[in-house]
Amino acid sequence: MNRRMSDDLTLFGVRRMMEGVVPPALCTASADRMPNVSYLSLAEYVDPLHIALSFQFFNRSRENVLATKRAALTLDDPYTGAGVILQLEYLRTETCGPVFERLRAKLMGVASHVGMDQVFHLRGADIYRVLELRRVPGRRELPAAEPRVDLATNSRLLSERMANCGELVDLLDTLLDGLGELLRIDNAMLWLFDSAQEVLTLLASRGYEVGGAGAEISTGDGIAGTAVREGVAIRVGHMMNMARYARAARDRADALGFEPVLKSEIPLPGLKEPRSQLAVPLRARGRVLGALLVESKHDQHFGYDDEDALMLLCGQFAVAMSLMQPPEPEPPAREAPKIVAQPQTGLAVHLRRYARDNSVFLDDVYLIRGVAGAILWKLAAEFLRSGRREFSNRELRLAPELRLPDVQDNLEVRLLLLQRRLAEQNAPIQLEKAGRGRIRLNVKRPIVMQAENS
Amino acid sequence: MALTQDIIDLLGAGVAHQVGGCTKEGRPSLCRGLAATVEPDGRLVVILSAESGFEVIAAVHDTGRIALNLTLPENYKSISLLGRDAVVSHGGAAFRELVLDRYEKFRAQLDVHGIPPAYTEAWYLRPDADLVAIRFTPFSVRNQTPGPDAGSALALANR
Repeated sequence: MNRRMSDDLTLFGVRRMMEGVVPPALCTASADRMPNVSYLSLAEYVDPLHIALSFQFFNRSRENVLATKRAALTLDDPYTGAGVILQLEYLRTETCGPVFERLRAKLMGVASHVGMDQVFHLRGADIYRVLELRRVPGRRELPAAEPRVDLATNSRLLSERMANCGELVDLLDTLLDGLGELLRIDNAMLWLFDSAQEVLTLLASRGYEVGGAGAEISTGDGIAGTAVREGVAIRVGHMMNMARYARAARDRADALGFEPVLKSEIPLPGLKEPRSQLAVPLRARGRVLGALLVESKHDQHFGYDDEDALMLLCGQFAVAMSLMQPPEPEPPAREAPKIVAQPQTGLAVHLRRYARDNSVFLDDVYLIRGVAGAILWKLAAEFLRSGRREFSNRELRLAPELRLPDVQDNLEVRLLLLQRRLAEQNAPIQLEKAGRGRIRLNVKRPIVMQAENS
Repeated sequence: MALTQDIIDLLGAGVAHQVGGCTKEGRPSLCRGLAATVEPDGRLVVILSAESGFEVIAAVHDTGRIALNLTLPENYKSISLLGRDAVVSHGGAAFRELVLDRYEKFRAQLDVHGIPPAYTEAWYLRPDADLVAIRFTPFSVRNQTPGPDAGSALALANR
């Protein structure tokens, strides 16, 4: 191998220089040795021997690289002023897959940062072998910035706290609260992936004016959607146009033909002008169950180390979430269910359901849809029919009308989502736990149910 | 052919300088430049650090071929000037005033982006003995501003 690394440098060790505050500069040369220098939008660490560079335009650099396979790249440390120069050998161009998707997501952030999101387009991720890596001499380097927190120690502490959780709701709160308390990550959203609907549903958030439980985005929307679709972490360190990219909520109301007054949108939480974002997939048992999206008002708030730490924590969260939902044992014999008549006083609340996607509206305000909507509809109907308020998870799991996806991780999560959405709305119908594997419906106003077939 | 007034204005606007070369064996290299200006004879002179840019200087010395990229941080306007008659010489104190002028203007540009002056000083403030001058006649100017027409030729003026 003719690879040479000097000064004890490793590609891994300089990967933080690829963050994009100072754009990397590329030098190529034509076959007759005429050099050409240009800036690149992005360089991405792939592994200890390879990097990926963004390929956006058919220009002189591209022409040279294809002709000679050689390039030199300089990277500047955005904090210390140190510089490195890499000698590169072009290997191939990837147009799909995790590296391409990471670059594409980052490029969208960079493009919107410079107001060129209509022009920038990633044609491919050029993969290079690093032949040499050396430090640029003659620089008076500044001391490195103090780390935000002791990531390793505090991540371990958070991991231990999560390991002690026995309930999904505790697990969720422990993770989101711990991000702020231990990792100084104050803005976070946890998204669940519904593979049947191809959407991400917001389960919980921290650090925003609106909670947004039940809000949806399409798979592939924003860096959270892309992280789920590709199963990889995506980090953007530049200010980005949240409205156009990360908050790209799907406007399903028009597509579904709803009346304008019944707009099935839940306001998305999010920083108005985020400067950094990191989306980490929730992976367990070979599947992606959702994503954690964290963001900050500061540039470069999240580094590779944050990405590594959150990948571990989110992996633990995803596995724990799966394990917490085994099929319930047969409920023990109980006393006869308590029958409660529905309230006779107060303004009636109108519960309306649209059959095509089980979207449910409370007094013409969109509440929830999908499995969670179907659950609420079933509970309310049973309550009106029999006066019963307590239900076992098992009976819900077996209810054919709910058409639960054939995965264990769904019911508990959907119940938690529904519970949070009702609480956020301060709705006259609320859900609460009634012991292990059981839930209770609390109804404060008379219910009028109306099923819509359209 | 000579540089247009637009390009001459850009030289003094606070640009970042990147200088590229390539050895006869086909090994490309690049380094930061510190300043550039037009000399009375119409040639361009670019100043760089001998220590930081040793590889580029050696390549340019051997081949005479050079690429100079100028990029203005405030709007990403970027051009590349190419030469094939480059001559390397000691720069020294004669270019101190020019380097300081370019340093001040570049530092002001980065300040808008929240990059502190100390960062620029880390690689800009070189001793006189370390300053190298490379003179060349640009035969081609290309637009390098990010976008679909990056790499397209820009016009030079008639002398």
